[in-house]
Amino acid sequence: MEGMMNKIFNFFLSFVLTAFFATSTFAATKVVWWMESDATTDPVVQEFFVDAFNAEHDDIELEVVFKEDINDTIRPALLSGSGPDIFDTPGASYIKIYQDAGLVKSLQEYADQYGWQDKLLEWAYNSGVFNGELYSIPKNYETMIYFYNKTLFEENGWSLPNNLEEVEALAAKIKAKGMNPYAYGSTGWQPTHEHLVGNYFNTYAGPDNVYKALIGEKKWTDPEFVESIELLRKHMVDDGYWSGGLETYYSLGWDDFNGEFVNRESAMLMIGTWGFNVTATNFAESSDDWDWAALPILHPQAGDKPNYQLATGGTMSVNAASKNPEAAAKVIDWILSDRARVLNVTGQLGYGAWLMPLHYEDSDFDPNIDPRQKRFLTEFAEATGTGNYGYTTWTFYPNDPGVHIWKDMEVVWAGDITPLEFMEESQRLWDKARADDALVPVGKR
Amino acid sequence: MPKFLTNINAISWYFLMPVLFIHFFVIAFPSILSLLLCLTDWNGFGKINYVGLENFEELFRDRIFKKAVYHNFIWTIMFLTIPVIVALIIAYLLTGIKRGQLFYRLVYFFPYILASIVNCLIWRYIFHPKHGLGGWFENQGIDFLSKSPFAMKETALYAVAWVDMWHFWGFLVIIYLTGMYQVDESLYEAADIEGATKFQKFRYITIPMIRPIFILSLIIIIIWSVPTFDYVYILTMGGPAYSSEVVANHLYSQAFQRMNVGYASTIGVMMFFYVGIIVGFFALLRRLGWEV
Repeated sequence: MEGMMNKIFNFFLSFVLTAFFATSTFAATKVVWWMESDATTDPVVQEFFVDAFNAEHDDIELEVVFKEDINDTIRPALLSGSGPDIFDTPGASYIKIYQDAGLVKSLQEYADQYGWQDKLLEWAYNSGVFNGELYSIPKNYETMIYFYNKTLFEENGWSLPNNLEEVEALAAKIKAKGMNPYAYGSTGWQPTHEHLVGNYFNTYAGPDNVYKALIGEKKWTDPEFVESIELLRKHMVDDGYWSGGLETYYSLGWDDFNGEFVNRESAMLMIGTWGFNVTATNFAESSDDWDWAALPILHPQAGDKPNYQLATGGTMSVNAASKNPEAAAKVIDWILSDRARVLNVTGQLGYGAWLMPLHYEDSDFDPNIDPRQKRFLTEFAEATGTGNYGYTTWTFYPNDPGVHIWKDMEVVWAGDITPLEFMEESQRLWDKARADDALVPVGKR
Repeated sequence: MPKFLTNINAISWYFLMPVLFIHFFVIAFPSILSLLLCLTDWNGFGKINYVGLENFEELFRDRIFKKAVYHNFIWTIMFLTIPVIVALIIAYLLTGIKRGQLFYRLVYFFPYILASIVNCLIWRYIFHPKHGLGGWFENQGIDFLSKSPFAMKETALYAVAWVDMWHFWGFLVIIYLTGMYQVDESLYEAADIEGATKFQKFRYITIPMIRPIFILSLIIIIIWSVPTFDYVYILTMGGPAYSSEVVANHLYSQAFQRMNVGYASTIGVMMFFYVGIIVGFFALLRRLGWEV
């Protein structure tokens, strides 16, 4: 009887041990990714990235947790040494702070191993390099352009403006017809103002001057920047270019100004490329046609060709406390390695999210892509590839000077401070950020 | 069993201990930490450098902070007057209503139970220049509310305060009404025999008799006005041009947008001291024999 018991016990023990080692050896490594939540984007990401990745891999299980206000959520998690393996951030200025605090892992060894530098557009790769090492990868790139009501332009014989004189002449013609030149508004998102400031810096002062100011070779108080702000003030306050006036601009939200544009209350919409999707959707229900163009150059010092401002809309990084950084890097590489898959995902999202800065080729595109969208993607790649690009405030400014741009622009519009005073404060904050080593990478021009 | 465990006087302290313990870690400890952080240039993540009183020097030069303090002062004055007066009158009138009083109480109190985001969205639509009252008046050929009061620097603070007061005054009605029901009915009967008017009864009986609850409401208003944040943040984010910026809003911007956590802590410390002074003032009144 005792022998029988021993046999049963030995069998049971060996079964348990075998099961234990088997699960330990073959259990998939779990990679958790905290991602900014968006009702439209989440299901597409889940299906085409998460589920697709898990279907292809037995060794790694990817779990994406969609979170509201990721920046507020990730902060305490990182500080407490916990949190996910991969996490989203709003941009490079946040990565700089995390990197200084040792909360984010260097991805350099994985970048070298998987050749990420060749996969990403050069400027986009450089935007995540701090002190010579890669810390973040842009999830999305965007730039500022303007959409226009093509039918309206054709009906009235208006042509697209190429310089300041033509912009102002066209605006006068549009206003004479009882419409607003541009639709836009800031309700719900006060940083909207920085889109306009960046546009004027890059099309009036010019990207070369902006670059020099970013790296400290020029002062933000130099005349070209002050004049840019003065011109923006004039167009906003005196001329009422945006939705008819400052107060209306402050009162309109995303749906309002998009509605204004499609309803012919405004002839143009100066916005980021995230506006492609909603513009296409809205005009699909209208008898009017639309198109887009690069922002006109407002001063010869800004060059003779339109430039595209570089911007990354969110980044992905690996937590310094991650227990599975290799697996996390493998997940990132899987995404970066299939351009067609990325284009499929971003295409479903109207190219407003997950448009990763990769070297796309003609064959990567869906044959059914809207030709206007495709023209943007190819023209942007060509122009920026030849160095014809500018800089957005939300990608290349440190936090404090960045917030100053959109918070204090209202003070200029209110007439409480002059454009020069505004730029003096900007310079003071830049000097402080430079002294604190809080600058974000710009990349050599 | 040890004597200290069965001491009847100590039992209430034992029941309070868990709450005190949580309170220490959630409120007191971070507050103490904040007192220390105000002497640093911490950005919320990295190295913490001691900067002495630099943040305080910066604070007294900060024009936005001064503006925000002034706005908080205006805010407090508005809340100490408009909703208090309206609530007192309505509560007094309600005491005279026997049928349907509950309905009125519910209606007045309803905005108070709504989330601030809901209240704000309602009023944002009402004041919308195209889809709100402004658009309606425009269709009637009247130029009224054609610009949202939230979008004009002359009116933004008052418009936001209006929305918050609309949500708040129903709460005051309820607490004043509760106080009024505790007034001895025989006082009113005596006043009726003497031929007192309704106003005289209100002035000479109701107001003095509800004084403790009235003073309590004033303390609540003054203290709650200091950290006021949500309505400003949702409706105007302090704009346009800082015209509705309040101190808590400025603190938030410094801590979470500009990443100046050390400086934001300095603002927090100033708010803490201000509330301390208010509480101290009322404690002094109590000591002097005032019924507060």
